[in-house]
Amino acid sequence: MAVKFFGQFLVEQDAVTGESLLHAIELQERTNLKLGEMAVAMGFITQQDIETAHSAQLSKDMKLGDLLVELGFLSPKQLEEVIAHQKATHLYIGEALVKVGALTPEKLEQYLEAFKADQAPYVANRVELPAWLNENTAAWEMTVDLTYKMITRVLGIQFRPGKFVEASVLSSNHMIAAMDLSGDLSARYLLSVSAGVQKTIAKAILKEDNVDHEDDEILEDTVMEFVNIVCGNVVAKASQMGVTLDINPPITLHPPSDGLAVPDNYRCVVFPIHVGDDEVMEMALFIK
Amino acid sequence: MKKVLVVDDSLSVTRQLEKIINDSGDFVCVGHAKNGAEAIKMNHTEDPDIICMDMNMPGMDGLTALRSLVMLDKAVQVVMVTSLGGVGDKFTEAIKLGAKNVISKPFETENVLRILRAL
Repeated sequence: MAVKFFGQFLVEQDAVTGESLLHAIELQERTNLKLGEMAVAMGFITQQDIETAHSAQLSKDMKLGDLLVELGFLSPKQLEEVIAHQKATHLYIGEALVKVGALTPEKLEQYLEAFKADQAPYVANRVELPAWLNENTAAWEMTVDLTYKMITRVLGIQFRPGKFVEASVLSSNHMIAAMDLSGDLSARYLLSVSAGVQKTIAKAILKEDNVDHEDDEILEDTVMEFVNIVCGNVVAKASQMGVTLDINPPITLHPPSDGLAVPDNYRCVVFPIHVGDDEVMEMALFIK
Repeated sequence: MKKVLVVDDSLSVTRQLEKIINDSGDFVCVGHAKNGAEAIKMNHTEDPDIICMDMNMPGMDGLTALRSLVMLDKAVQVVMVTSLGGVGDKFTEAIKLGAKNVISKPFETENVLRILRAL
């Protein structure tokens, strides 16, 4: 039901042991050369060139490959060749598991099919974003899209996503659960819910038909847990896209009646989630 | 019946897991801890067979606690239950540190019980 990577799926299904997965990962680490190592192995650059580029990276926010070109150690054509060779010789985890004897090729095929079916609900759809959000666009789109998917799959709520709006204040609501994303993206993820939506979330998370007797602490906790589930899965999906993220535990915010001000140096994008006339649900991103 | 300790800072997750464990007929929940440090204390006082532990908690996080737990108690079996289960590096680190399995959130009851019964 969650975003997974293939190795985890296999261990979860009891198809391979954690120990054989580790052996396969070690084989991958020995086999799959990093860009610099591959460029050295292909005779284009020296180890000293890599060290010089690494030192230059401390003051320049550039990928190693681009920097090696800028420093004149690699030509653009050579960089293309290195990347193409990396892709062509890449040992995937499934192949590594076959090589270490943990899976047969036939079983690998079967489990790959099962894995594709398991992860099919998480194939990302396009989401409209502000034009200025032009870096890591796919990761931002995935964050919003995965929120929609989790609302459907985990909460079972029928909704219509609204067009994004930019705001300097996030409107007041019953409560907001928030989580900070750090790493390649720096943002605060917020989910703002009315009291009715909060109860719907609590019913889904606690798997209870009635939550009228529950106290505020547990009701709020269920919204934080939902945000934790969304953001954890965003981090997992981002890692598959080559985007490294980390999260801190979620927090609850009670915005004043005039709304929650967006901190200085942040821009706020709100994604309305239309769930019915009497209830309000919004997802927002405070982006640095 | 195997004894299970639940470690999670979320009240709602703790409640969900306790219900799954106690309704299973095979396991009994002997308590819950809110962070890694509490888990280490309760492992000593409650002597569980299995620990179901979150990764991302305030105070001592799950991976730090996992390292200590498997060092202090060779017999205890730890399963991580986390929304970060699908992150390759986190999953691999947990298995390297001695976790028996990693369950991703959101989880299904049958999946949790299948993994606990396989230990």
